[in-house]
Amino acid sequence: MNRPPLTHDSHQTLHVRPLAPAVFVTGKGGVGKTTVAAGLAVAAAEQGMGSIFVEFGDSDAGEIALAGAHDNVRYERIRPAEALVQGATPMFRSAWVARGVLGNFAMRPLLRAAPAVREVAMLEAVRRLMEKNPGHRVVVDMPATGHSLSWFAVAGQGRDLLVRGPLYDLCDRLVRELIHPGAMSIVVVTLPEPLVLRETRELCMALLSQHQLPVDRLIVNSVPPALPPAALREARALAEGEGDLAAAAQALVDVLTVRGQTRDAVLDIISSSLGSKAPPQVLLPRAPEDPDATTVAGWLTKAEPR
Amino acid sequence: MKPGSPHKASRPEIIVCVGGGGVGKTTTSAALALSLARSGRRTLVVTIDPARRLADALDTSVGSQVQPVNLPGVEGRLFALMPEPREAMRLFTEYLCANEPEALQRLLGNRIYRVLEEAVPGIHELVCMTFVTRAAEELDLDTIVIDTAPSRYAIDFVTYPRRLGKLLGNRAIGWLSGLAGPDDAPRSRSSRWFAWGRRRAEQALAGVIGPGAVTDVAELFAAMALVRERFVDLSERASDLLLVKQTRYLLVTAPTGAASDNVRYLLTRLRKLKLHPVALIVNQGLDATAAWRPLLEPPEPLAPDLAKVLSQLEAERAARLRAADRVQATFARTHRRLPQIPLPYVEAAQPREVVLTLATALDEHLATVSAHASQGSGDPIEP
Repeated sequence: MNRPPLTHDSHQTLHVRPLAPAVFVTGKGGVGKTTVAAGLAVAAAEQGMGSIFVEFGDSDAGEIALAGAHDNVRYERIRPAEALVQGATPMFRSAWVARGVLGNFAMRPLLRAAPAVREVAMLEAVRRLMEKNPGHRVVVDMPATGHSLSWFAVAGQGRDLLVRGPLYDLCDRLVRELIHPGAMSIVVVTLPEPLVLRETRELCMALLSQHQLPVDRLIVNSVPPALPPAALREARALAEGEGDLAAAAQALVDVLTVRGQTRDAVLDIISSSLGSKAPPQVLLPRAPEDPDATTVAGWLTKAEPR
Repeated sequence: MKPGSPHKASRPEIIVCVGGGGVGKTTTSAALALSLARSGRRTLVVTIDPARRLADALDTSVGSQVQPVNLPGVEGRLFALMPEPREAMRLFTEYLCANEPEALQRLLGNRIYRVLEEAVPGIHELVCMTFVTRAAEELDLDTIVIDTAPSRYAIDFVTYPRRLGKLLGNRAIGWLSGLAGPDDAPRSRSSRWFAWGRRRAEQALAGVIGPGAVTDVAELFAAMALVRERFVDLSERASDLLLVKQTRYLLVTAPTGAASDNVRYLLTRLRKLKLHPVALIVNQGLDATAAWRPLLEPPEPLAPDLAKVLSQLEAERAARLRAADRVQATFARTHRRLPQIPLPYVEAAQPREVVLTLATALDEHLATVSAHASQGSGDPIEP
C-alpha cells in the first residue's frame, strides 16, 4: 500500500499510529532537525499535554529555537558528564563513589575513547525523565553525529555484551522501557535532495531490519511549493521566442525544471523504494527564511491526522 | 619517500574544511580540490563523512583506496578518498597488526572490538586520518583537502588520534590488560598495596559490567598492547598533520541562523586548540547565477502563472541574500581579520554541475585559501 504523503495543507484522515510519549528526532546535520523537534514539543503543549524538550550536550540551538515559543514547554539539557555520574550512582550506591570511579586514571581516558558509554548514560537520563513525568510528551533532539543508528543499537549491544551485573540491568531496562516501539517514536527529518533522501531511506531500512524499530514519521523539510503547471509551459514558449528575454526565460526553464524534478524525486524515492514499509510522510513547505517553532508546530498539527 | 625520486621532499599542505551540517561542506571541499588541481597542484580530497556525497559530487566511486578523478582540466592531478567505515576498519586493523598475526586474530575475535568497529564515533575519524597520513607519505601530493563529518563537534576529530594514542600509551593499559589475570606475587610493601588496590578496582568494575565483560576488556587491551607502538606512532603522525600551525582550517557556512552559531562555536574551538582559520566561505552568498532576473521587468506583461512564479523566486532570492549579508556583516564585525569568500547559489540537477560552478568561483580565491597557490602553479616554494 502506498500512502500519499501528509502535507500541512492536506485534510485526509489516515490510519497512522499516534506518536508515543518519548519522541526521538533524528536526521543529518543541517536538515532543520532542531526546529522540527521544537515544533513537535510546542504542538504537544498546544494540545494541552505536558511537554518537555530535551537537548543533548552543550549545544544551545534548541534553547534558541524554543525562545518565545509556547510557555508550557519545559526545556531540559542533558550533559554527558552529569548523565554518567547520575546513571552510575545507583550502581555504586553513592554519587561520591561514582564520581571517584569515573574519574579514575584508567577509567577517564577509557570513557572518553568509548562514547558508547556516554550514549547509554544519556538514554538512561531520558528514561528517568519519562519515569518522573508520566503522561508527558518528551521530545529529544538527537545530536547530528551521523551515528543515530548506534544510539538506538547501543543498549541492545550492551545487553548482549554483558551477561549480568548492574550495567546489564540498566541496558536491559532501557530496551524494555524506552527503546521499543510502544514507548518511543522515531521521527526522521530529511531534506528533498536525492542524496539526503537515499541516506534517509537507508537509515529507515536499517532501523527496521537490524533493530525492529519502525520510523513513525518521515518529515521532509523545506519542500519547494508545487509549481503552477502553466508556468513552465509559458516559460518554454518565451525561451523559444526571439529577443532579449529568450535567454532569461531559458534560465527560468532550467530552474523550474530542476525544482519540478526535485519534488517528483522526493515522492518517488520514498514511496517506490520503501513500499508498504514507508513511514508516514509529512512534507513541510520551503520558507524563504528559517521558520520559528510555533509556525512549524502549526504545520505539524495540521498534517497530523485527528 | 622513494630514493632517487625527482619530487620535492616537503610535506603536502593540509586544508581542513569545517562547518555545521548542511552548509555544503562536501561540495565546497570537492570544488576547492578541483580548483587546486586545475591550478597545477597534485591534490587529494578526503571525506570523513561516511556518506556518498563526495562520490556523487565528483562522479566517482566510494572506496578505501585513493582513486583518480577525471574532470576537465585536472590532467591526472586530482584524487579522492572516501573510506567506507567497515572496510576501512578492517584494512586499518590489518595494517596495525602487520607484524603481529596473533594480535590480529585476537582483535578480530574480540567481542568488544567488533562493537567498537560498528558503533563508536571517533574510530572512523581516526582510521580515515591514518589513511591520510599514509597517502601523504606515499603519494607525491601538493595539497590534501579534508572534508569533516557534518557536525560542529566534528572539529574534535583532530584530537582523536592523540587521545587514543594517549589511552594506549598511558599506564592504564597495563592495568586494563592485566584485569582478571593472575596476581603477580607482590615483592614490596608498596606493590602489595598496589595489588590490593588493583583487586578492589577490578571487583568494582566487575560488579558493574559483569565478570565476562572484564575478561573481554582485558583481552582487548592485551591485544592492543602488542601493537601499541605502531598505534601510537600512527596516531602521532596523524596529529602531526592536523595539530600544527601550517595546517589551514577553512570555515564553511551558509546563510542560516544555525550555521552561523556553528561557525562561532568552531572559531572558539580552533582558538582553544591554538589553530588558525584562514577564511570563512559563505555558501549561497552571491547571486551570480540568477540569469532569469531580466524577466522581472518584461516589456509587456507576462502570463499570471509566470508572474507569480517569478515573484516567488525573487522573494526567495532576496531573503537568501539578506540572510547572507547579515552573516557576512556579523563576522566582519566580530572577526575583522578573517577573510570572507562568498560563493554563488547554484540550482542544478547534478551535484557535479554545482562543483564545477563553485570551483570556477574559487579560482580567484586560491591565494587566500592555500599558502602555496600565490606562487603560481605546479612548483610550490618551500616554507
